Amino acid sequence: MPSFENCSRFAIVAYAFNPMTLTRLPNYLRASRKRLALSQDEVAFLMGGRGGAKISRYEAFARKPSLETAIAFEVIYGKPVSELFAGLRQKVTQGVQDRAKVLKHRVSFQGSDRRSQRRRAAITSLVAPTSGTTEKS
Amino acid sequence: MTRPDTQHERILAIAPTTKGFGFAVLEDETTLVNWGVKSVRGNKNEGALKKIEELFSQYNPTVVVFENYRLTTFRRSARVRLFGDELSRTAKAAGIAVKTFSVQDVRGVFFGAEQGTKHAIAENLVQRFPDELGYLLPRKRLPWTTEDHRMAIFDAVALAMTFSMPETLGGR
Repeated sequence: MPSFENCSRFAIVAYAFNPMTLTRLPNYLRASRKRLALSQDEVAFLMGGRGGAKISRYEAFARKPSLETAIAFEVIYGKPVSELFAGLRQKVTQGVQDRAKVLKHRVSFQGSDRRSQRRRAAITSLVAPTSGTTEKS
Repeated sequence: MTRPDTQHERILAIAPTTKGFGFAVLEDETTLVNWGVKSVRGNKNEGALKKIEELFSQYNPTVVVFENYRLTTFRRSARVRLFGDELSRTAKAAGIAVKTFSVQDVRGVFFGAEQGTKHAIAENLVQRFPDELGYLLPRKRLPWTTEDHRMAIFDAVALAMTFSMPETLGGR
């Protein structure tokens, strides 16, 4: 491990450019809660729970919330679930894209009717999404 | 000057205090992911390092930023100087890059050649992060009062900003 103490930012950035460390965090619940100056107990109360222990586990990435809980977070923090759980979304998106590549290869040999063409276009858009989302209008 | 691509960096800035340390996690140059103060009982350096290691494992930072403890102008206790050494060693052992700045570096980034106070830096940061830091800004310290412990958060954010975007902060 090289010593970076007091060396240029360029050297640090070059070293730090490791794809494994650049992934988003699984969720941004703690930052969203702190922005509203709410305590974990208060959020737990708003969600219909008793104490803040579960909220703490969500924020520490030790536990994944249910869909109902995720939507409750969206309501409380006023941010979309995909933004609150950016890392999880990134992971899921990557998985879908990887599988879409396999599926694209599979369907590439199938018929040339309109339905097959539509299906191929849909799968192709998943492999290389245009605007960061997996859906195309 | 061409800026390096720091868009996907996660910076952990640490500002040691008499009770523990203040910290800030900055991502994508402008997003505060976590911030706060942690107090430690007993052996402060050992306890603080344990808590910092937890932050390492939770946030997986690409770089750790703190005050340059090796300068002769570093006006802190021997304990904090030792803490700097230990923190540097711990970060390197975890494969995390280390960057230190002097108080003069930080002030230079915020004020340029002008003079400025810590409170003025804190106010500047509140303008940048009104939702995150606005409610944490303590009253301006009077000459006979001690510093509010929350100022460590602003110290940490200022260090992170000094690393993250030094050329865009400009003068007052």
